Amino acid sequence: MKNRQLFSLFLTYLKIGTFTIGGGYAMLALVQREVVDKNGWLDEKEFLNMMALAQAAPGLIAVNSAIFIGHRLAGWRGVAACVMGAVLPSVLIVMGIAMFLVQYKSLPAVEAVFRWVRPAVVALIVATVVKLAKHIW
Amino acid sequence: MVYWLLFITFLKIGFIGFGGGMAIVSLIERDVLRYGWATEQEFVDMVALSQVTPGPIGINCATYVGYTAGGVWGSLLASAGIVLPSLIIMGIICYVYDHIRDRWQQNPIFVWVMRAIRLIVVLLIAHASYILMTPASFPDTSSWVVFAVVLALCLPDIFVPAKQGTHLKKTTQALSHPIYLILAAGACGLIDYLWHNR
Repeated sequence: MKNRQLFSLFLTYLKIGTFTIGGGYAMLALVQREVVDKNGWLDEKEFLNMMALAQAAPGLIAVNSAIFIGHRLAGWRGVAACVMGAVLPSVLIVMGIAMFLVQYKSLPAVEAVFRWVRPAVVALIVATVVKLAKHIW
Repeated sequence: MVYWLLFITFLKIGFIGFGGGMAIVSLIERDVLRYGWATEQEFVDMVALSQVTPGPIGINCATYVGYTAGGVWGSLLASAGIVLPSLIIMGIICYVYDHIRDRWQQNPIFVWVMRAIRLIVVLLIAHASYILMTPASFPDTSSWVVFAVVLALCLPDIFVPAKQGTHLKKTTQALSHPIYLILAAGACGLIDYLWHNR
């Protein structure tokens, strides 16, 4: 694969990493649109196999899927391009928020927001437990 | 030294973290509390932010914890640590996969190993949610009301059959979307605050 295609692979994953909120499963929806529907890099069956492997292996599903697709399309350089694209936006955005939030954390308005958000987050985790328990077998 | 500890901790989590984002968050939680990088309450805030910021939740959480414990270098090392095992293991799997392809799915030993892993993953996440139900995060009855409402909005989607495109499924999917739920809870908190400080 030529450098230009490698760069477009990187850009595709950069887009996926920047615009999907909600983690691995949410990202997979966009990965499917970009990789299967738009670019035709994998067919549907291969995409499903990729998902199974990405979930079976330890580590983050989004990163694992990036590794699979990068490897399939362009070998180890493809892996580097996809993983960098998937991870960079996260690291930069979260670092920015962490720097910013340290200064404002003690504001009562921010505290009031988190007072409501905390139980909501715990409820979302409980919902995940119920959802996944259905698929153990 | 905190940098080394961060890198090694997240490297370990990357190796043993089966089940993706939320399962990995439960592993991160254990070590964050053990090493005192954040309190339970601070950690819930990190999880909330990890869910509403773009990108994989595990990376977001690692970056956030890393920054809190060790600044910019801490966040880079934590993220690198959690990605590195994936590169090694998934790399090997990709390599092997080309050779064995479809035979895996039929192998009974493989099927049972996967079932056991899934069971452990679900129990881990359940434990994580239990640990986060602290008095600090649930100070009064209103917190439990928020908890119950969010859970009630999520449950229908789990039990409505996953036939894509039906109206019912679309509705339940929209209602149980984590980002909207977190943003809505935050907006309610802001309204609550403004109301009490008119």
